[in-house]
Amino acid sequence: MRVVIAEDAAMMREGLTRLLADRGYEVCAAVGDGGRLLAAVAEHRPDAAVVDIRMPPTHTDEGLRAALALRQRHPATGVLLFSQYIETRYTSELLRDGAAGVGYLLKDRVADVAEFADALARVAAGGTALDPEVVSQLLAASTASGHASGLAALTPREREVLALMAEGRSNAGIASALVLTAGAVEKHVASIFGKLGLPPSGNDNRRVLAVLRYLGSPLSS
Amino acid sequence: MTLEDVSATGSPARPVSPALRTVLRTPASARARRELLFCLAGLPFAIPLPVAGFILALVIGRLATTAPDPAPGDLLLALGVAAAMLPFLVVTGAARRLGAGWRRLAAVLLGVRVPAPAPLPAGRDPGGRMMARLRDRPGWRAAGYLMAKFPVALFGWYAVFCWVAGAVNVSYPFWWLSFRNHPPGVHLSPVPVFTPFGWFGRGTFYISTFPGTFAALAAGTGMLLAAPWLTRAAAAADRWLIRGLLGPGTLRQRLADLEQTRALAVDDSAALLRQLERNLHDGAQIRLATLAMNLGMAREKLGDDGGQPDLLAVRELVDAAHRGAKDALGELRELARGIHPPVLDNGLADALATLATGSAIPAAVTASIPRRPTPAIEAIAYFCAAELLANAVKHSCAGKITIDVSERSGTLQLAVADDGRGGADPAAGSGLAGLAQRVRTVDGGLAIASPRGGPTRITVELPLRA
Repeated sequence: MRVVIAEDAAMMREGLTRLLADRGYEVCAAVGDGGRLLAAVAEHRPDAAVVDIRMPPTHTDEGLRAALALRQRHPATGVLLFSQYIETRYTSELLRDGAAGVGYLLKDRVADVAEFADALARVAAGGTALDPEVVSQLLAASTASGHASGLAALTPREREVLALMAEGRSNAGIASALVLTAGAVEKHVASIFGKLGLPPSGNDNRRVLAVLRYLGSPLSS
Repeated sequence: MTLEDVSATGSPARPVSPALRTVLRTPASARARRELLFCLAGLPFAIPLPVAGFILALVIGRLATTAPDPAPGDLLLALGVAAAMLPFLVVTGAARRLGAGWRRLAAVLLGVRVPAPAPLPAGRDPGGRMMARLRDRPGWRAAGYLMAKFPVALFGWYAVFCWVAGAVNVSYPFWWLSFRNHPPGVHLSPVPVFTPFGWFGRGTFYISTFPGTFAALAAGTGMLLAAPWLTRAAAAADRWLIRGLLGPGTLRQRLADLEQTRALAVDDSAALLRQLERNLHDGAQIRLATLAMNLGMAREKLGDDGGQPDLLAVRELVDAAHRGAKDALGELRELARGIHPPVLDNGLADALATLATGSAIPAAVTASIPRRPTPAIEAIAYFCAAELLANAVKHSCAGKITIDVSERSGTLQLAVADDGRGGADPAAGSGLAGLAQRVRTVDGGLAIASPRGGPTRITVELPLRA
């Protein structure tokens, strides 16, 4: 799999390059700002781009803007945003054009190398990888606003499964994260969809969309 | 002025007593010259108002009937007429304009920096404008200044007379023999010698011989020695009037000042927090994230998932993580010290001594702080010293730096001096302007003495409590 990295801190950039190379990814380019990211993606057409949000020159949201531009110009390239904070506004801007091939993770997550690599692989394959932090913000917002009234009917276990679904994980991923059997996960998922009144969906990607939309995310597709 | 000069001025080893030296030097000082100029400049400005009153009084015909010498009653009348002109001056805005002229002159010659009062709010229709001007307090206060200025200007005039007449008297012995070498038998009229006590009247005495010129010389010398103190007194009175009457009202001024410095303080603390977040984000946070990543990779290499451990790679990754942890610790320590240096809890003197030992250019600290300032003031003084020291190290090319902190008459005085190339300019963006702003938020002040070629001495004055 081919990847482009955009991260302004040299230490982190080198570490990421090494981590991905170790796991057999081909890092086509590792750049330090949004402009060069767009150029590198246009040149290499990678499967995914790992993008830091705060980069020069303004150190605000260059990465996010570059990511939105990437989604327009190169929809085939998955974009994994990568930041030290989770901002609700960034989440909703990122998800506005759908959740396919999108990820948003805290930088801390690189500590769990396997999970990080798994998330990147999901994004590259057109799936979704949302940080647990993003999902808990969405859950808190829907609980507070009361528009997702079905949430109250879920058991604690079902809420855990829902959160992992919202992160974009497959049944197998959920099963290994919660140490459950695949069958148990399937049963939980069916129960959740029933309680929330969502149409059953076999496809992971459509399932994420349904869950996120239920949680109030501004998804257009 | 360097520190050495300061200590030399008060030295008791000199043969001439300091008081006598002051008396002898004052007439030639730049300050005396500026004050004389101020009194001179005052004449044309001070005269028109009372003179106009006089002329008005003449037109009324009151003076025509009395003796050529104006009687006290006539003077009073003239002043009364002049006072009647005040509303006219206020309504036309002339009082404000004249006041502004005086304020500028005093700033240039006396160094009195009085801020301008708030401008008159612009009215739409002429009637409203007129009413606004009639109610314009700064305008009325400026008019009051013009009135009060009159006696002060008269006194200033007298001081100028002492200067001029003293100089004339002193000159007699030098030209007497050239112009008074007339043949015997020719009688020339005697020459007047002015004294401080009269103007061609009883106070003036006359001389007609060369030895007599020495009496004139003595009188002139005395007058020249006394004259600077007279101009200084006139200038001091004027300074007092200008401060009280030509500035914005004191309370209003204070309010505006406080509003401004509060805004500065709020902006400053917001900027500091932002900087702090930025430093954490780009520094320790990145280091720790990288460290976690290295450890994560090392765990994988240990054969976490049942594979063969790759000990060489693990060692390398753990080494990197170890270095990263130490770097992160160092960075966090620097950051914490930047927020509040722990040694400051022991007092400013200790903190400054620690600061000086870390300086790239040798820095000596002298401290005499019998009464301890509040922690906030100590912190401001410390960070001022730190920034001034850093500035000196960066820009001055100095060989040595001195940091002097002392408590004097209820204020904390911090002076950072170097023997470098000088030319420190707050407008050049060296952080001095920001420092001055920060100091202002607690009613402190910052003074810069840094001529091109050096030396530089920057003084910060702070109250003992904020």
